[in-house]
Parts: sequence; structure tokens; C-alpha cells
Amino acid sequence: MSEIGRLSLLIAFLCAVFSVGSIAWGLRTGRVGLLRSGRNALWAVCGLTLLAVILIGRALVARDFTYRYVAEHTSLDLSPAFAFASLWAGQEGSLLLWLLILASYGAAFLWFYRKRLDPFYDAVAMVVASVAVFFTYLLAFVCSPFRMLANPPLDGQGLNPLLQDPGMMIHPPILYIGYVGFIIPFAFGIAVLLMNRTGTRWIEEVRRWTLFSWMFLGFGVLLGARWAYVELGWGGYWGWDPVENASLMPWLVGTAFLHSVMIEQRRGMLKTWNVALIVLTFELSIFGTFLTRSGVLTSVHSFAESEIGPWFMAFIIGSSTLATALIIYRKALLESENRMDAIVSREGSFLFNNVLFVALTFATFLGTTFPVVSEAVTGAKISVSAPFFNRVNVPIGLALLLLTGAGPVLSWRRATLSVLQRNFLLPTVAGILATLASLPLGLHGVYPIVTVFGSAFVLTTVVMEFARGLQARKDVAASRGAMAIVELMTKNKRRYGGYIIHLGVVMIFIGVLGSSVIQKEAHRPLKTGETLTIGDYALTLKGTEQKMEPGAAMTSAVLDVSQKGKSLGQSRPSKAMYFKSQQPMTEVALHQTLGEDLYMILGGVNDDGTVSIQAYINPLVSLIWIGGIVMVLGTIFTLSDRMRLRREEKEAV
Amino acid sequence: MNTTLKIVLVSLVVMGSVAYLILSGVKQTGMQYMTVTELAQMERAPKPGGFRLDGIVAAGTIQYDQKTPRLRFRMTDGKEAVNIVYEGLMPDAFADGRDVVVEGTFEHADRTLHATKLVTKCPSKYESDALGEDKS
Repeated sequence: MSEIGRLSLLIAFLCAVFSVGSIAWGLRTGRVGLLRSGRNALWAVCGLTLLAVILIGRALVARDFTYRYVAEHTSLDLSPAFAFASLWAGQEGSLLLWLLILASYGAAFLWFYRKRLDPFYDAVAMVVASVAVFFTYLLAFVCSPFRMLANPPLDGQGLNPLLQDPGMMIHPPILYIGYVGFIIPFAFGIAVLLMNRTGTRWIEEVRRWTLFSWMFLGFGVLLGARWAYVELGWGGYWGWDPVENASLMPWLVGTAFLHSVMIEQRRGMLKTWNVALIVLTFELSIFGTFLTRSGVLTSVHSFAESEIGPWFMAFIIGSSTLATALIIYRKALLESENRMDAIVSREGSFLFNNVLFVALTFATFLGTTFPVVSEAVTGAKISVSAPFFNRVNVPIGLALLLLTGAGPVLSWRRATLSVLQRNFLLPTVAGILATLASLPLGLHGVYPIVTVFGSAFVLTTVVMEFARGLQARKDVAASRGAMAIVELMTKNKRRYGGYIIHLGVVMIFIGVLGSSVIQKEAHRPLKTGETLTIGDYALTLKGTEQKMEPGAAMTSAVLDVSQKGKSLGQSRPSKAMYFKSQQPMTEVALHQTLGEDLYMILGGVNDDGTVSIQAYINPLVSLIWIGGIVMVLGTIFTLSDRMRLRREEKEAV
Repeated sequence: MNTTLKIVLVSLVVMGSVAYLILSGVKQTGMQYMTVTELAQMERAPKPGGFRLDGIVAAGTIQYDQKTPRLRFRMTDGKEAVNIVYEGLMPDAFADGRDVVVEGTFEHADRTLHATKLVTKCPSKYESDALGEDKS
């Protein structure tokens, strides 16, 4: 079986190489047969990769320890689901998953555009195939998941306990769907340059693909935060860890692109900038994979230190150099059709949105790679951590929050003073009122106050936009009542989908503010019957429980939790001792409400029989998760418009 | 004033402020990586919070008072060793021989580092060579 797996990856590599060569030759000579063979070869890459995944997946579930990868990442006590999820616990498997998603995007692309005979789309397929060449090469020759052991062990080394969590099972694939998806916008961008393509149609197509990946990447980032919150047991959800930063950076640049691309569609401006943003988003996705998998920086996530680092560096440097050269070569194609009329305008706000997003990415990049950079420049290995990112990124993020409110209500080309007055008066007043109202809650400092002001400002502008839309359709609105809002939104899905996403962003800002500024903490060893109080809550220790779980022994503290004398039932913060790794895992107990989370950690059972309990009150954390879901829903709403467009297009054909 | 010029000026102001934030951020929060030997051989204690210490938990030196909670251990790089005191819960992956990174204040007199932050690097056993050779 392993020979078949190895062979499938080898043939996949050859098919990818053939695909690139055949399409390139076809484009030169105009022979349609070559283009078709090239496309078919990309289909073959997809099928062969799927075969390899099925083979390694079968070995993982069957716990076939003759495979090195299986022996390294699973054990007999794992459930079949976790055993299969070990596919992305190690480096070889993760790369294989990467390739599978890449090939699936390639297949989806080929399927959606199967009726288009325009060679432009063949050029896009060629770029996808070129990236597949890189990944199939790595998997076939550098780190094969199909290495076999001379002396297979009776049991495997087990899966890291941190990864044995349902959230962790879906987090990497979701994140990868986001990361890898930027291949299609990148391929479009490169194909436009290669084929000297004019017109803006491709921009609309790229927007759809970008939105899709952007949604998954954002969702993946938040899933990671959620996982850190419930699994790592330190009361927080974001630590500016290199791997977290790695997933955030392409998302930030992708967000910048999604905004500035609107200027290109509407005014034919910023073309070079947009292509550069697509390329940068893709390169940062590859860089993110590289950071996660190469262990080049100190991080709790880097489980492997490996030989693939130089390959990734070479790929990033090579592909970005080629892309830059192409952009310079096709300068004329990317010339702006218009000039900016005024700085206080929709275009102006988008431009600053872009400058800020790129600055945010740059600061994050620099902070993440600082040990390496400082060692190269000064010889001293200096690192920066959370305080640096909070200091630099928070003000930039707040400036972006204010722009979120201002941008949508500024008119295109030039905003007149009367428009400014009309659109800004109410949101500003609302912002000031919200700030005054929140002062008694104990907010100190400029940033929290700006967050409250900005959030209220954005909320008001969004409500005003809805009201204005309804006003314009007054007659309809009167007769249809609540349905009028739905009709209004479906009339312009892109616009109102965008507003929904902005609402989600505001919720996340408020959630971050609440949990970082007004967090409470308490800890104490408790005897049975004793009570730990924190805020309104009282946690009374009833006793401890021991339980055996597959692969681990679980110790739990049983706590009666009450709030202001009202019982909230029992909570069981626990520690699991995993037999394989001899490592304890803290299992947090959470009592979540919209307003605040009660977060309970079992420190351990002490020699004298007391039980150490640590508790946090994290206000408004739920808003972060709900905000994330709102953003996803807003994106799906926006994308649904594209689906309709495509249907119409098909009917027209 | 010309719009292009205005855009350039405002962008410069924005980029300048970001550059200022980054530079001052590095200056005030940047921490130098040190090995235990480097720290032990210093004449004076480094600035509190200005460094991160990399090393290994010396075997048999862990004393954990779970009730306080307070964790004491010796950290070594094979040559020198220093005492670490950390007021907080013991991280899950903390054990003899593990790679750890600590930050805090170093008391030169009793060669003790009062850690405010303790990070345990993941054990590398998951990628170890314990499984032996590949089948050829």
C-alpha cells in the first residue's frame, strides 16, 4: 500500500510538471489540444492527491504502525476520528492536506470555468499547477508521509494531548481552506499580467474567490482563539504567538485588498497596488504555513523543527521576485484610468484603510520575526511579545475602527461639507453619549474610550444607512413593514453584506475591550465546603472526582456555582493525566453568558487535601465569538449575490 | 494644495507615526534572549523585564507549592545554573529536562530570578528518532 501512496505522489508531481509545460506550450502555439491536456493533468493531480490522502488516512485509522507517520502521531487508545485528524498533527500530513486543498481549489476552478474557452483561464490553471509542482515535489522527495519503519513498534507515540479536542480537529483544515484559497486570486493576478489582460471582469471574479478564502481564514483565526481559550487554560484567547500572527497577516492584507478592489472596479484606480496586494496575501499564506511548520521561531505551536524551511524560503523569494518582475514588466497594463479628486472621499478613506492594514501587517511581521531580524542586524537576539503588539497594533486597529464608520458614509470622488455634516453629526453625538454612559463602568485611558466611541459611531452609521435605504423606498416600506428591510438588503447584497460584516467587527472590538480591560481574577486553595468568591459569583467546593477516560485519568473538582445567591448548577474544572505523554492537561470549566464568562481552572489537589482553584471573570468574551459568526453570515450573504449573478450569466448563455 | 501631494503628506504622517510606534515599542518592550551562562556571568543584574532567559529545567530541582501557588526550580544550560521563583500555576507541559523560557527580575545577590512569565516549549519527543531506521 505504501508503494502505491509513494507512487501516487510521484505521478502527481509529474502530472503537475506536465500540466505547466503543456499549458505554457499551448499558450505559445495556440494549440487547443495542449491546453486541454494541461487542464486534464491538473485534474489528475487532484485525483492522485486524494488517493494519497485516502491511503494515509486508512493507515492512520487502522493504526498501521509500519508507517513512520502513523507511529509518530497516533496510538491505539485514540478514537478513529482523532486518529484520522492526526493527518494534520505532523509536518508531512499537514503538507499533504495543504496539497489536497490546493488541488481541490484547482479542480473547483476547472469545474466552474469548464465552459470558458478563453486561454486566459488556462493561464490561471497553469499558475495553480506551478504551485502544485512545489508541494508535490516536497511530498514526493523531501518529506514523504509514506516512510516505512524497519522495526514497527507495538503502539504509537500518541497524539499531543493539546490536539485531542474537537475544536482542534476542525481548526487546521478550516485555516488551510483559508490560507490555500488565496492561490486562486494569486493565479488570476499572475495570469492577467502574463496574458496582458485588460478589463475589470476578472476583478469581480477574483473578489468572489478572495471573499470565500478570507471568510474561512478569519473563521479559522477565531477558532484558534477559541481553542486557546478553552484548551490552554490561561484565561485568555490571543497571545500574539508567532503562529497566531502568521494566520492574521494574510487575513489583514486580504481585507485591505477586498476594500481597495472596490476602487478599481468603480474608478479604475490602484491597479498595481491591487495586484501587489494579491501577491502579498498569497506569499503571506505560504509564509504562515512555513512559520507553523518549520519551527524557525520559538513558539508553542512549532511541534517540528525540520528540513523544509529552506525550501519554503526559496519558494517565497522566487515566486515574489517573479511576480514583482511581472508587475514592472506590465506597467502599462496597470496604469490608472482616473486620479483621485479629493482626500475626503470614499476613495480617500479606502486608501487610508489600505495604508493602515498594510502598516498593521508590517508591524505584526516585524514583531513576529524580530529575533531573527535583530540577530542579523545587530547580532543580539532580541524578541518582542504581547506588550509590543498591544502598543503598536491597538492604536492602528482603533484608527481602522473609526474608518469603518467614516468610510461608508463618505461619498465617492468628493465629500462636500454639507454631506459631512449630515452624515457625521448623529454618529458623533451617539459616540459621545456612549462614551459618557460607559464612564461609570470604570474605563480608564484613551484606547478603551476610543473603542467605545468608535463602536457607537460605526453602529450608528450602519443603522443610518439602513434607515436611509428604507427612506428611499418609502412607499414600499410602508406597505411591507419588516419585509422591507429584507427586500432592501437583497437588492444590494454586497453593500448590506458589508455592513453586516462591519457589525461583526464592532462586536469583536467590544468583546476584546471588555475582556482585556475589566477582567477579574481570584485564586485560593479550598477545603471541602469552603467558598471562593469572585465578583457576584460564589464557588463552593463539594469534593473531587476521579474518572478514567480513554488514554487518560481525569481528576475533577466539583463546584457548586451560584450568582447572587441563585444557583447556576455544578461546574467541573479538571485535569487529565495522559498516560502516553505523562503530561497533564488542564480542562477548563466555563459558565458562559452574553455579558460575561466565569472561567474556572483546577490548579490541583494539594497534599493536605485542599483543592487549588483559580477563577476569572471575562466580560463580553461571547461577543467575540458571536461577532465572528456574524462576519461569516455577512460574507455568505455577500457571496450569495455572486451565486445569483452566476445563475443569471448561465441563463443568458 | 494638489490632491496627490495631500495624499502623499497624509500617508507620510501615518507611516511616520507607525514607524514611531514600532521603534518606541521595540525600545520599551524588546527583550534580549540570554543563556543561563550569559546571565550568571554578568557583573550587574540586567534591567528587570528587559531579557528572556532560555534554558532547561535541572532534573530533581522542582519544588511546587500548589497552594500559594509558587514554583521553584533551577534552570541550567549545562554549564551554569540559576534559581527561578515563579508565582503561578505550573504549566501543563512543565517537567524535568524541559526547555523553558522565563522573564522577570534577576536578583544578583542570591542568583535568583523572580519570573513573571514562564513558557514551556513543547517536548520534542513527538518528532524523536526513537522509532529507529526507515525500511529501505
